[in-house]
Amino acid sequence: MKISLNLIKNFINLPVELTSKQIAYDLTLRTVEVESVENTAEKYHNIVVGKILEVRNHPQADLLKICITDIGEKEPVQIVCGGSNLYEGEDVVVAKPGAEAVWHGEGERVCIKETKIRGESSYGMICAATEVYLDKFFPVKGEHEIVDLKGIECNPGQNISEIICMNDIVFEIDNKSLTNRPDLWGCYGIARELSAIYNIPLKEIPKINIDSSIPEYKIEIKEPNKCRRYVGVEIENVYEKESPMWLKAFIVNCGIRPINAIVDITNYVMMAVGQPLHAFDRKYVVGEQIIVRNAKKNELLVLLDNNTVKLTEDDLVISDVNDAIALAGICGGKKDSILPETKGIVLEVANFASSTIRKTGKRLTEKTDASIRYEKNIDTERVDQGLSMALELIKELFPESNIVAYSDKYPVKTEKIVIDVPKEFLDIRLGKVLSREVVEKILKALGYEVEYKNEIYHVIVPVWRSTGDISLKDDVMGDIARILSYENFKPMPLSINIEHAVHQNNVLLERRIKEYLAFRCGFNEIYTYPWVDEKYLKAAKIDVTSSVRLSTPPAPELATLRNSLVPGMLSAVSDNLRYYDSFKIFEMAQVFEKGEYHESSEDEILPIHKKFLTGCVVDKNAKQIFYEVKGIVEEMSKYCHMETLSFIKGEKPTWSDINAYLNVVYKNEIIGSIGLLSVATMSDSKIKRTNVAMFELNADKFVPFLSRTNEFKHISQFPLVEKDLSIIVNDNIRWEDVFNEIELFVKEVAFVEEYRGNQIPKGKKSIMLRVKITNDEGTMTLDQINNKMNNIIKILNKKFGAELRQD
Amino acid sequence: MGKELEEILNRGVKKIEGVNNIEEIQDVRRELIGKKSEINEVLKTLGSLSPEMRKDVGIRTTEIKNTFIDKLNKKEEQIISSKSVLEESIDLTLPGNKVSSGVLHPVTQMCYDLNDAFLSLGFEVFSEDDISSEKFAFDHLNFAPDHPAREMMDTYWIEGTEEKSKNERLCLRPHLTGASVRYLLKHGAPARFVYPGRVYRNEDVDSGHERAFFQYEALIVDKNISFSSGMVMIQTILEKVFGKKIKVRMREGFFPFVEPGYEIDMECLVCEGKGCKVCKHNGWIEIMPGGVIHPNVLKSANLDPDEWTGFYINIGLERLVMMRYGVNDIRYFHSADLRFLSQFK
Repeated sequence: MKISLNLIKNFINLPVELTSKQIAYDLTLRTVEVESVENTAEKYHNIVVGKILEVRNHPQADLLKICITDIGEKEPVQIVCGGSNLYEGEDVVVAKPGAEAVWHGEGERVCIKETKIRGESSYGMICAATEVYLDKFFPVKGEHEIVDLKGIECNPGQNISEIICMNDIVFEIDNKSLTNRPDLWGCYGIARELSAIYNIPLKEIPKINIDSSIPEYKIEIKEPNKCRRYVGVEIENVYEKESPMWLKAFIVNCGIRPINAIVDITNYVMMAVGQPLHAFDRKYVVGEQIIVRNAKKNELLVLLDNNTVKLTEDDLVISDVNDAIALAGICGGKKDSILPETKGIVLEVANFASSTIRKTGKRLTEKTDASIRYEKNIDTERVDQGLSMALELIKELFPESNIVAYSDKYPVKTEKIVIDVPKEFLDIRLGKVLSREVVEKILKALGYEVEYKNEIYHVIVPVWRSTGDISLKDDVMGDIARILSYENFKPMPLSINIEHAVHQNNVLLERRIKEYLAFRCGFNEIYTYPWVDEKYLKAAKIDVTSSVRLSTPPAPELATLRNSLVPGMLSAVSDNLRYYDSFKIFEMAQVFEKGEYHESSEDEILPIHKKFLTGCVVDKNAKQIFYEVKGIVEEMSKYCHMETLSFIKGEKPTWSDINAYLNVVYKNEIIGSIGLLSVATMSDSKIKRTNVAMFELNADKFVPFLSRTNEFKHISQFPLVEKDLSIIVNDNIRWEDVFNEIELFVKEVAFVEEYRGNQIPKGKKSIMLRVKITNDEGTMTLDQINNKMNNIIKILNKKFGAELRQD
Repeated sequence: MGKELEEILNRGVKKIEGVNNIEEIQDVRRELIGKKSEINEVLKTLGSLSPEMRKDVGIRTTEIKNTFIDKLNKKEEQIISSKSVLEESIDLTLPGNKVSSGVLHPVTQMCYDLNDAFLSLGFEVFSEDDISSEKFAFDHLNFAPDHPAREMMDTYWIEGTEEKSKNERLCLRPHLTGASVRYLLKHGAPARFVYPGRVYRNEDVDSGHERAFFQYEALIVDKNISFSSGMVMIQTILEKVFGKKIKVRMREGFFPFVEPGYEIDMECLVCEGKGCKVCKHNGWIEIMPGGVIHPNVLKSANLDPDEWTGFYINIGLERLVMMRYGVNDIRYFHSADLRFLSQFK
């Protein structure tokens, strides 16, 4: 919203030394966020009135003219111009060199320079309205027309901002910071804040009393809960005419387009006090009667913007004896708007309930300056301010006007809220003891009535803050604190009661797992969206029958919320393969499935949430990455301090290869799988010329050890003997069986490598393993070592038909 | 005899000087001072000499032997010290081997940094599930019944529940604040805790807006504290992120779940408050909202607002990461793009 400093100055006498920058700062800290401060004269710098003395043809161009123009300097200057409405003696707008203008009203602002156009020198330019921000003052009629100041008193060289009364400072206020403050949707509310901030008096808006002898205008309010007050004033001898420049300038500065004097007055009053008004052409209010009623079902209404809306019984309309003539509080109707033939008006100053305005506005997607204000819930007394200000302006602009009928229907009055604020409460919550004088001064400046008794401030909230904004003692405390400014409260240290240290093993475990994967295993952590692309769900062959879905997803194919992190992984792998051949990524996040789960209360039924940990290694060498992933999962428990993870071959994950997969077991329960991606899954995910080994674990199952559980083992005083052994066995012999057999006889046994190839007979493989043997009684002799190794070979031969490999 | 000895000495010294490697030195050592060396031969003849000569020759012979030993040792030392473990030349400008380690997501890093800081102030870490209900996401938090955030257009509602209300209308949580009531219902007061997490908004995406983004919220609930104590939490965050004390200011702001509410600005680090492009020429950058927990929210958590009060702050984690590293587009964070993520080692 835009606020005019000129208008503010009508309401308070600001100290002269106060800069607009300081006002913006103080408002931002204490009341609302000021987004920018604009001096409205600035953009008209070097844009002046010129009088064309002579118009000549341009020797090189048919469409251009050479204008000898008086711009108030010593000598007239020559300006080349393509305007279609140039004539000698015309008063025009000239952008002198150094001015800024927008070429043909489009694009960026450019600086005007003295230049040559087709060989003829041109000192600046003669402007069209859109080129120098004048189109709201001088509506453009023809395409190549320049501004003709005919009929306006002006002198060559005079700055154009003087002509159009552009000498204001405009504060642009962030509307978001005004949502809870209906009182601030007009300059008067801001002026009131400034009067409290700077401790200067606020002028009252004089109330105009309407002669009681004036006949009553017929008004009937059928829905008093929706329309709490309706004032109608019938005025004759008002008609469509242009507003004076000062009013136009104000309207433009508020970001509105001037229309005609009547409409401009209603907008002026709305911007000044925040009370929307509407003027009907009285001729079209059939039966000279206004009825505020609910619309009939499917009733049609053509709005001012030519939009025809179909109404429901929830919508509130202003109606004459026949039809709806306006959508209450939102938009006037087309039929009775102010037109050239208008001779008199019915002025509406009314109060509508916020909920009805919001509901209707939303359904019809109609948002207007009036509806924005009503939606914030305006108090019913504001009608008086709006009415008085409007009548005064009408009298000023239309001295011949006359009030012919009047009525004020006022079924529901906004009641002022009463609150008790104990002094002790203020002292503690503010962290500062304030004197009674300070508290009362601030509250009274904001319009509160205060009475102090028995250490309690009995507070009556001003009516303009009583519509929802202020209802608790906390709200009153907030008002005091902000006017004092939060800058003036020193940070107070927090006191600590130490009962125990924070000890959250689950939080730690999650971090250990992430750090293990990233720092020890070389994975990069990723985050993907919880909604997953159908393409990847299909690629991973994921069953979505129990998936949770979004009702309005970001895109139609993204409606499913994930029940596995694998689809997101597939998408990430596919994307990254454009830049990398080999990489490792992981994600830890929640997945969802339909079900019943109560997190905080019995009546709240949430779907099932599980925290999954999923990662993958991408590389060409399928076997190598399979074992890499297996190793990463195997070792995880050791580094992260939880019970061991082991493997069994059970059910195949939907996305995995037919052979290369395993299920992961934790505390006797299957909690996930590892595996190579299947050919189909890779092809459907556009993962080409590489392989992916994936793991997916339900991390909710992990239980952290209460502390580290490493165990000290006695270190043998005799040396361990390390021996490598290469055996040849049938291809179907499993390492696990070999391992289990040897383990009994040696201190340690480790797999080194497996080999199939030229030197090995078909159907066989060679396994190289490493054993560590020792003797608790002393250093082993060569004989002892040989005996032990021979024994091992014998056993392997007997159990598995193993032969020693001879190379 | 004397002349002969001097010749042995000269020959020997020359030989030692001519040695180039460690193997030769052993040969020369044997030749000059071994059993069969000339000097040893001289010593063997000592018995046949006259007593005076024997003494002179004996002394001189020993001197020569010692000279040889000394020179041989020095030569050996010299050779060893000029020897390299390498057999070939080495290009010292070749790059060192890279340490291959992965990286945590920059949002996770930021979150852990803040967790560490708040842990030192005795805050617990709490997390809430991603899907919540209108009751916890809005009703408990003093959102008006017709608050726009409850609309279909702003929040991701779960299919099949969108037409219901309160506890039965489910959504991807639009903010973290609902978690505060869950925690307080579970643990009561006093309480101090942080609850980082991801939130979801039905928005158009551009370089500054995302549909899924991370927030970090902290709440302290206690008796008789003033809102000015909340400043400590703000300073904790900023000091942790930027490594130094940062000037902040609180100004009036409105959020349903706080009263009073604040917008918190920090001094622009680029221009130090003088005004520049980054801070849109006002010297301050809006970084987080905060405020005193609203009495109605305390009531939702079964706490008596006359007894308890508290202070919230909430900050966007992506925003902090963007400020810390100068990242210019929020969409990178959910892109899973390793060209982005791998920069934050």
